[in-house]
Amino acid sequence: MLANPQPQAPPATQPVPREEVICFDGVVARFGSLHAMGPTSLTVGRGEFLAIVGPSGCGKSTLLNMVAGTLRPSEGSVRYKGREVEQINHDVGYITQKNYCLPWRTVEANVRLALEFRRMPEDEIRQRVAEAIRKVGLNGFEKAYPKQLSGGMLQRVMIARTLAYGPDIYLMDEPFGSLDAQLRTRMHGELLKLWQDTGATFVFVTHDLQEAITLADRVVVMSKRPGRCKLVLDIALPRPRDVIDIQSNPAFGAYVKELWTALDVH
Amino acid sequence: MAKSIETGAPAIAATPTPSFFRSDAFVQIVIALSALVGWELISRALKLDFWVSSPIAVALEFQSWAKTGQLLTDLKLTLTEAGLGFVIGGLIGGLLGFVLGWVKRLGDLFEPFILSIYTLPKIALAPLFVLWFGIGVLNKVMFSSMLVFFMVFFTTYQGTRQVDRDLVENARLLGAQRWDIWTKIAIPYSAVWVLTGIRIGLPYALIGAIVGEFVASEAGVGYRIKEATSFFNTAAVFAGLVVLMGISLTLLMLLRLIERRALAWQDAKGVIRIDDTA
Repeated sequence: MLANPQPQAPPATQPVPREEVICFDGVVARFGSLHAMGPTSLTVGRGEFLAIVGPSGCGKSTLLNMVAGTLRPSEGSVRYKGREVEQINHDVGYITQKNYCLPWRTVEANVRLALEFRRMPEDEIRQRVAEAIRKVGLNGFEKAYPKQLSGGMLQRVMIARTLAYGPDIYLMDEPFGSLDAQLRTRMHGELLKLWQDTGATFVFVTHDLQEAITLADRVVVMSKRPGRCKLVLDIALPRPRDVIDIQSNPAFGAYVKELWTALDVH
Repeated sequence: MAKSIETGAPAIAATPTPSFFRSDAFVQIVIALSALVGWELISRALKLDFWVSSPIAVALEFQSWAKTGQLLTDLKLTLTEAGLGFVIGGLIGGLLGFVLGWVKRLGDLFEPFILSIYTLPKIALAPLFVLWFGIGVLNKVMFSSMLVFFMVFFTTYQGTRQVDRDLVENARLLGAQRWDIWTKIAIPYSAVWVLTGIRIGLPYALIGAIVGEFVASEAGVGYRIKEATSFFNTAAVFAGLVVLMGISLTLLMLLRLIERRALAWQDAKGVIRIDDTA
């Protein structure tokens, strides 16, 4: 907990304990002889916005991959809604810094990709695509090709593509890492709105402490390799949050300091 | 949120339309005509017509070919040989290149063999093809398909191998089944390379047919050129070359047209921005 008295009054009523959606139970990741991460235990509640910070190579992304089912833990288990993740988990949306737009498809056709994979009826596809595109503010650019778009817009396409199929969990691996600071701040605002609208669970990996505090309910700090949970910090800042104003909240600075101290490995 | 689409269009519209006499097309026509006139004059002045013929002599030769119908017969034959060779070689090359490029393990296994055959100067196989397939149409078709095959195969193979595996992984996360990966990722991705291979391979279809006719044949544009050479009929040789040039150019333009429709996304121009303004 915070070293200095908490500037923000704790909420009058304790939040109801959230139903557990993801549970890492003593997971360890080894790649050959490299002990990359763990053992780590962590639970994520339904509708929670969890941020994970830590030095490079500490296994932040590895945790996400385990939820997505693209990587099995070497030891321990990952449960999603009470069941062990054994194959690719189609309930998750995975957004990374890299854009996976298909260059030969227009924005619209890229957004509908997952819906085509899911064999949705054409009517529903159209409706969902239009809605997703509107929500990320890409309306008017449906027919544009990825090579015509800037980095921020490509990232919106990736978000819209995920949004269209409405996953329960959004796994985000430094999604705004390649954007400039201004645009990044704007995307934070849009992301928070999205989180509120969808009521989905967000697990957000970043190495930017300010980003983590701005967005998350809880921030997990991981140690350097082999990465372990070093600190889990509740961010008791009021919601809905204004991504600009929140930075001048006195508690914000205190959180930065505390996370920074926890991160410092020396 | 300000939205704007910057395209090249307004800039083009803003510059005044250049007059025809300053346009590239006009200059190109002038260059072509001067070359022809120069050819005719030099040939006459230096009495070189035995060696280089002259545009008028070539035109006369064309006239006589057209009259006897020989031009059409030869053209038909050579085009059939090249066309069949192109289709067969292109299809097999594209398909095999796609499969070996996509299935990494197969590609790894076969790469050394493919490379050793690829580096062989394949023209050297022409005599062998006569032995195998005779001196008829079949020989030219086979030879031409072989040349096209290697061109299309290699381009497709190399291009497809470069596919971003993360793209496939991402599609699987989005719910793609094996079939979806093939139809929605692999094939469209490789299409670019198949088309590139086809563009590179197209001239080889004609080369295959012509070389086949040079080596052994009884008709066709290549045969006509060879025959004319042995009779020292330079005008007919040049006429044959002009025909070949015409065929190649026509095919190339056809291919451009197909490519433009299939790969519209590559031509998409302009940069769209909505991020600059907060």
